[in-house]
Amino acid sequence: MNKLLILLVLGFVFAHAGAQNRYFTKDAKIIFNSSTPLEDIIAESNQATTLIDIDKNEVAFSVLTTSFKFRRALMEEHFNENYMESSKFPKAKFTGKIISPIDWKSEKPILVDVKGILTMHGVSNEIVLKAQITPGKSKILASAEFMVTPEAFHISIPSAVRDKIAKEVTIKINAVYAPYQQ
Amino acid sequence: MHLIIKDMKINSLKPVLILGIMVVYALPCWSQDLDSLLEKAIKPQTVYTSATFKSTRIVNGHSVEQMKKKQLDFRISHRFGDINSGSYNLYGLDNGLIHFALEYGLTDWLEVGIGRSTYQKTFDGFAKVSILKQSSGVRNMPVHISYLFSTEYISLNTDTLMTNPYSRMSYIHQILIARKFNENLSLQLTPTVIHRNLVPTELDKNDLFALGLGGRYKLSKRIALNVEYYYVYRANEKAISQSIPTPVKYYNPLSIGIDIETGGHVFQIMLTNSQAMREGGFIGKTTETWSNMGIHLGFNISRVFSFSKQ
Repeated sequence: MNKLLILLVLGFVFAHAGAQNRYFTKDAKIIFNSSTPLEDIIAESNQATTLIDIDKNEVAFSVLTTSFKFRRALMEEHFNENYMESSKFPKAKFTGKIISPIDWKSEKPILVDVKGILTMHGVSNEIVLKAQITPGKSKILASAEFMVTPEAFHISIPSAVRDKIAKEVTIKINAVYAPYQQ
Repeated sequence: MHLIIKDMKINSLKPVLILGIMVVYALPCWSQDLDSLLEKAIKPQTVYTSATFKSTRIVNGHSVEQMKKKQLDFRISHRFGDINSGSYNLYGLDNGLIHFALEYGLTDWLEVGIGRSTYQKTFDGFAKVSILKQSSGVRNMPVHISYLFSTEYISLNTDTLMTNPYSRMSYIHQILIARKFNENLSLQLTPTVIHRNLVPTELDKNDLFALGLGGRYKLSKRIALNVEYYYVYRANEKAISQSIPTPVKYYNPLSIGIDIETGGHVFQIMLTNSQAMREGGFIGKTTETWSNMGIHLGFNISRVFSFSKQ
């Protein structure tokens, strides 16, 4: 009976050992850019939280849309009030999987494809994006750039300002991960 | 646990054990859901309510909104004449008063502004301080509270009594208490004290107490309906009505406006029984009423410039 118990405990410990292989940061940078020749529309958040699981090659992002800072306060208000509807949909999220092979021991930058679900403004869309990852034992660097269209996320842009806002929004991500402590 | 196991038969334990093993091995799988792990890692935050009103004014009076740091608001306001002044004056459109102002956010909680109005050739200056901001989350605050201090200086040359420059001044204190109830509805209470250094007659009090009630209802994302009323407490109302000759009778200002927001501008179009556009005027010296069609068509235009370098 005692042997069984020991086995159980050991099994539990081994099963949890995998949990060490996660990396985390709560101050990843996201830059949002929908500028046109008529208007600079660029915002930055340094408060994105993200986790990467190097066993499962999974990655998850979460950011409060109100954490995006614009140069013009009025633009920031309109971004939250009229477009993102931040009080209704406070977070933008991404959960995905690295679908190209990656050697986490190499410590050299590598370009990978990440496929996952991007949710914002209450709408989820599957996207595939290119990311550059630099693996490391004490830290992992990751950056990515991709485009989304406001329509895909049911964000309507009134005709009066349609020429001032880019049809495709560029999103740039920069994250420096450290080992995740629970 | 050990004791219980001893007393029981192995057979009856088997299902319990299997279940136990399943639970124990399944646990890491649950916690390995990266998404829920992420949710746990995010510390709860305070979310501050924004855009309680579309503009720094509800109609005539201040709202709790202010320019954020390094943002400059250039405002032009216009109130046409009385609608009841007849077709000869094109229902008031022939004559109007103008007010223009420059208002600047020194910090996210302090705004200062200067302005000038045709009404009695008045100069004005104000400071608006956000004391509490409505928020939810870690720090829960049901209302936004601001304090407004404003000074007005009448530079009009006609009143012979106003030889002393100080007698031309008045001071306005307001506490603005607002709550955004939901995306569409915001309400504001505005207790007000106005001190005039000089008043027209003995019966007019130097200190005037008023309570403002304001609200906005969003009709769409970019259009809102605003209503604003100030109840003004006049101590000598009865004496004023009985005195001969009768001094000018003042009324409470009621204004109804529509906000239209177009990117960098906010247009406010309104109907109001007050032609003055600053507190000393519209709260203290409104001489027309809605009941006799002493209504003015007017508008405020706000254009915001940013001096912030990110």
